[in-house]
Amino acid sequence: MSALQGRRVLLVEDESLVAMLAEDMLLDLGCEVTVAMRLDQALAQARAQAFDLAVLDVNLGDARSYPVADLLRARGVPFLFATGYGRQGVDPAYHAAPVMQKPYQAAQLETLLTHLLLCGAPGRDEGDRGRPACRCLEPGDGPRFRAEPAP
Amino acid sequence: MSVTDPRQTRPSSAARLPSLRRGDQLFETERRLNAVLDNASVSIFLMDDRQHCVYMNRAAELLTGWTLDEVLARDCPLHDIVHHTYPDGRPFPLHECAIDRAFPENNQERGEEVFVHRDGHFYPVGFTASPIRDDAAQVIGTIIEVRDISEEKAAAERQRLLIDELNHRVKNTLSTVQAIAAQTFRGRTDGAARTLFDARLAALSHAHDALVADNWESASLRGVVDRALAALAPGRVALDGPEARLHPKVAVTLGMALHELATNAAQHGALSVPEGWVSLRWSLRDGADDRTLLALDWQEAGGPAVAPPSRRGFGSRLVERQLPMEFGGSATITYAPGGVACTLRIPLTPLGWAGQALVQDPQEHAVPGHSAPDHAPDGRAPR
Repeated sequence: MSALQGRRVLLVEDESLVAMLAEDMLLDLGCEVTVAMRLDQALAQARAQAFDLAVLDVNLGDARSYPVADLLRARGVPFLFATGYGRQGVDPAYHAAPVMQKPYQAAQLETLLTHLLLCGAPGRDEGDRGRPACRCLEPGDGPRFRAEPAP
Repeated sequence: MSVTDPRQTRPSSAARLPSLRRGDQLFETERRLNAVLDNASVSIFLMDDRQHCVYMNRAAELLTGWTLDEVLARDCPLHDIVHHTYPDGRPFPLHECAIDRAFPENNQERGEEVFVHRDGHFYPVGFTASPIRDDAAQVIGTIIEVRDISEEKAAAERQRLLIDELNHRVKNTLSTVQAIAAQTFRGRTDGAARTLFDARLAALSHAHDALVADNWESASLRGVVDRALAALAPGRVALDGPEARLHPKVAVTLGMALHELATNAAQHGALSVPEGWVSLRWSLRDGADDRTLLALDWQEAGGPAVAPPSRRGFGSRLVERQLPMEFGGSATITYAPGGVACTLRIPLTPLGWAGQALVQDPQEHAVPGHSAPDHAPDGRAPR
């Protein structure tokens, strides 16, 4: 059974059709999905509910999802960013979080979310900025997954 | 000089030396004006009643390549020095010049012209001309402010090229997606699914056409409606509602939603029989948060008896769930026996910047103790 089975996932995605697609993928992976399409909804959901994981589209129309990332980080919820621009599409202050290149693909989503579960949330201290939280996601590491030791 | 600022002048010394004080003040006033004029980034020309330039500031000297002394020595209208030739090489006589043709009737008459630099190159300028009057209100000269607008012209041109490229790229990408789908699903899926897919992709493309018409800044509501219904229900939907400008996101999602309603009507509803028809009426109301509320009602009539669908498909999910989630408001589809009805209430996203509410009420969205330094705490994207 998938490690993602029954996990509560917050999905923040502002395009209706894309949100439907990503929601279906997460449901197929066995996740319980809460969808938020606007920043205010996403913040309200992140405050009101306990989540195991989150998928954050970076650009929410004219707003960005970083305040949600801050809130999730404060609450210890691991999250990844989804953007069509790869890592360049993410503010360097948030480079500790994994980045999923859009368009959404089920296999990529499953891999990243599974490792996020195993490796945990990026740390809160300033010192870990600029490097991925989860070394097993770094390209070139190949199949030898190495998780950072917990601080 | 001990007395340079009138505010520091003691009344006693001023009383003793009234003429000296006036002289000092004049000198000081001129010094200040020169400091202002020579540090201004806008070029300023003072013209007499013969269109000769009697003063120009430092920015004007840099702009034209001529010094004030040189211009004074030429003893001719300024036009003959900086504006003598059209960009196509024809001579530009003074009497055709919009700036110099006459004294401006009103203050701050504006326009754009192309000047000739001393080295011969042409540059676009924006100008503002105002008359100078004597004590008898006679116009005795003109003051002209001039700005080099080369950068603005170049930026506008880059923007135009970028929008052309964007239009082309979006259309091409949608066509490519269609081609990939056609190749991928050839022989693996039934023709009905492919037809549905192609129609949805076309609807997405048409929704973008409405954006192209207004440089991607907004879309005409009427244009979105017409484009969404043209393919499936030409002439069979009675439209009634005022024009409005839609935010691009609203335009695309609404276009797709209307396409789904029309598709359903054509397959199962009123548009599946020749005598059926649809009424689409909408109005604009005052909504919450100073937003305009788009109230849109789709009503089918004259079709076969309607039964609620056994499962919720793509269309109803998009309309009833995604649309309210994306924009707020509400959406309901009712499957009454007389015909399908859909009620949409969409608070229209303000044009320009959707993050306005967040900026005006940042406290509501602030996360205590956590704010990243590299972005606005309200999460607003830089524009």
